[in-house]
Amino acid sequence: MDPDDLDTEISSIRAEIRTLHHRRRILTSSLLSSRPLQRLSKTHSLPPPANQSHRQQEWTDISPLLQSSASHAQTNHHRIAFSTTTFPFTDPSPNAEGKSLLGIRIDICARDGRYMKPYYVLLRRVGRSQGGDGGGKKEVKVLRHTIPSVVDMARLERVYLPLESTAEDGEEEEQLKPWKRKSRNQDLKSFVREVRKGLVVWHLRCDAVRYLRETLGVVTRGVDDDALYEDDERPWERDILGPTANTDGAGETRIAKNKFGIVSLGPTSLEAVYVRLEWEDGRVGRFKISNTGVVERAVVIGDAGRDKLTEGILTGGDGRVETLLQRLEKSTVPASPEV
Amino acid sequence: MARPKSIRAPTTASLPSNLRIPSSTPSLVKSFGKLTRQALLDLAFQWLDDRSIQAFPPYLQENEDQKEEEDEELSPYPAERTVNDVRNAYQELQLRKGGKREVIDRILEGDWRHGITLRQLAMVDLRYIDDHSSSLRWTALELARIGNQPPPDADLSACVPRVHASTFLNSLQQQIAPLVKAHYYLSRSTSLPLTFLRIFVTNSPYEHPRQAAELLTDASRVIYVAFPDSCPYLYTSIASSPGSKASASTSPHAVATDPRSLQRLVRDALPKALSLPHQRYNLKATSLTAKSLQALLSLRGPGRSNHSNGAFSIFADAALEGSPLDPRPSDTVTPEEHMNHPSHHKENQPTDSETSKAPKRPLTNTTTTDPHTAKKRTLTVQSRFGTSGSLSSAPLDRLDIRLLDSPHTSTTSTTSTSEPTTNTPTLSLTFTGTDIISGFRKLADLGIVDAKKMPSWMTGEEAVSVAVIRGGNRVVKGTG
Repeated sequence: MDPDDLDTEISSIRAEIRTLHHRRRILTSSLLSSRPLQRLSKTHSLPPPANQSHRQQEWTDISPLLQSSASHAQTNHHRIAFSTTTFPFTDPSPNAEGKSLLGIRIDICARDGRYMKPYYVLLRRVGRSQGGDGGGKKEVKVLRHTIPSVVDMARLERVYLPLESTAEDGEEEEQLKPWKRKSRNQDLKSFVREVRKGLVVWHLRCDAVRYLRETLGVVTRGVDDDALYEDDERPWERDILGPTANTDGAGETRIAKNKFGIVSLGPTSLEAVYVRLEWEDGRVGRFKISNTGVVERAVVIGDAGRDKLTEGILTGGDGRVETLLQRLEKSTVPASPEV
Repeated sequence: MARPKSIRAPTTASLPSNLRIPSSTPSLVKSFGKLTRQALLDLAFQWLDDRSIQAFPPYLQENEDQKEEEDEELSPYPAERTVNDVRNAYQELQLRKGGKREVIDRILEGDWRHGITLRQLAMVDLRYIDDHSSSLRWTALELARIGNQPPPDADLSACVPRVHASTFLNSLQQQIAPLVKAHYYLSRSTSLPLTFLRIFVTNSPYEHPRQAAELLTDASRVIYVAFPDSCPYLYTSIASSPGSKASASTSPHAVATDPRSLQRLVRDALPKALSLPHQRYNLKATSLTAKSLQALLSLRGPGRSNHSNGAFSIFADAALEGSPLDPRPSDTVTPEEHMNHPSHHKENQPTDSETSKAPKRPLTNTTTTDPHTAKKRTLTVQSRFGTSGSLSSAPLDRLDIRLLDSPHTSTTSTTSTSEPTTNTPTLSLTFTGTDIISGFRKLADLGIVDAKKMPSWMTGEEAVSVAVIRGGNRVVKGTG
């Protein structure tokens, strides 16, 4: 037998073992945190039965596992229900001004039911409050965060978490921003709300664009069958919203052939506020997705100038991004005989 | 030369992409020689592609029938009759094994003997950067908005300046045209989410560009600007050779034509060209310079790790906790598993974990006899460094630190710094290497550096390559 074949076989078996291991761990932890077992453990832990010593032994063996999975399940319930949770964190740096930090974790669920990697904001108390007396103003400042630059953290912090103690840049700032003089109080709740809103809105926009692309059909270079599309001369495009987009060279994709004649549909940047469209006949369009998921503005330009009809279709109807293709489909049916 | 008799009037237009550099220029061999044989062949195929053949026409026999025959025989590469013949010749080279020198010779003396266009040269240079992503030193600059800030109730999401390539180039050309004659080439990186802009600057618009062929291939006159996708940063490389430094201060006449001042002009024009009405931008230094573009992307990029490094990299990589749907308690899952999100492929996991485990074990075994202290030390190292330096890396090749604390008195250092600094010496440290932060991590792993007492700049938490430190913390200059 060819050694290469053996190698591939070994690696495939290893991969299978790994997935089975993974599955076993998922199943055991699900079992441990399941409700009947948790209820049983409560009844067992409260009254110590005298006669069943060996079963008692088993329960004491298993109870730390049960407890940890119970607390984990509870944490997860909080995370799912409230989406924004807080936790304490200790800054390990020996020179840090304030060691204890307030962590904020934001969980966002994507369209396919998966959760994104959680986003974190770590806040540190500043000013007199760290002196020890509780009477000082509790002012916080963002120390670290993992929010991508799609959400302008510096601006949000300036608006919602202004610091009273920063006198040096205060004068200049007050001249530029007179509204800040009135309310110099920090509003942590609004800050977190706005950060979360920014993230959720961004994910919704990305999901909407992904949904449109999937409805049209996406062909990934190398992964899907290339032979079907060999005559296709269109260039491959980098899918910036793809699953591997953030890690390394994103997989190149293109839109499959469809009845709308759309050859390309994709966001112009990671922010996914503007989406670019391209048709077979050379028309190029661009529309803006608002924060509420409505197509706000649309421009379509062909060889003969603006295509106001399509622009109207894009923004017309209920204006939702998700129904954009349905609107286009409706309009193409009466239009097709005359073409 | 293509059009020897055409009249060149001084204009403010950019240098044309089809301006040809004579193939006999010796420095062309040098710039082509940087590439591998395969890269050279790829480029040749790209030039001979149907879509781009108009821009890079090869030298064909029909073009110059009037040429004497003995001249043809002298050349080792007789001119081909059709473009297809040229393609076949390179296909042959592709199949055959050999040095890259024969490909270079074929390009320069054979098919493009009438000259290499500026665009071809730009493609060669960018291909080199693509292949060797750490061939240049890049400095990250932040695009900061100046002037009127939008009111707080305005749309808070639209914050990243959008760059439309051709509009941007037009306005950049408008900005620098009266002062600098330049050639622009925009290209998308094949491996990284970046767009490269290569700007080649020559002296003034009123100089005859054909006079010096060497000048057109001078690497010190090239500026690269990289635009990462969707983030308010840009990276520049000010490629400066030592020769240009010396000529900078010779005479007032040299000021206008010296490449450095031209580069400065271009750099000053960049934010202006990016600005829109009522939306002006300014370039701010971010004290990060590194050779690796990957490091710049992870420290000043569009992703999550801009503001959480060092100890906080566990948050950037989400290596601490999984998704709220994961039933497994967080402490039973390894950080590697957390980082590879469950939806992704599992195939690349074994190699990752095996390679990361392999160097760790011998380290702990050889250095310490007591397993307890070793374990404690690894825990401390993990808490200080997080995932940086091991699982996720942003290799810094140089780290310049200036310590403002006086070396002896640690307790009174904070008061003495306010006094005139004549008698308080400052200490400058410079670290160089391939990956400094992971080097620190290794030192801490070995117990040479106490991870607990390490200041945070050693763990890469500050994400800078130049820093001024006072009392273990970075001193940030006022945003003036």
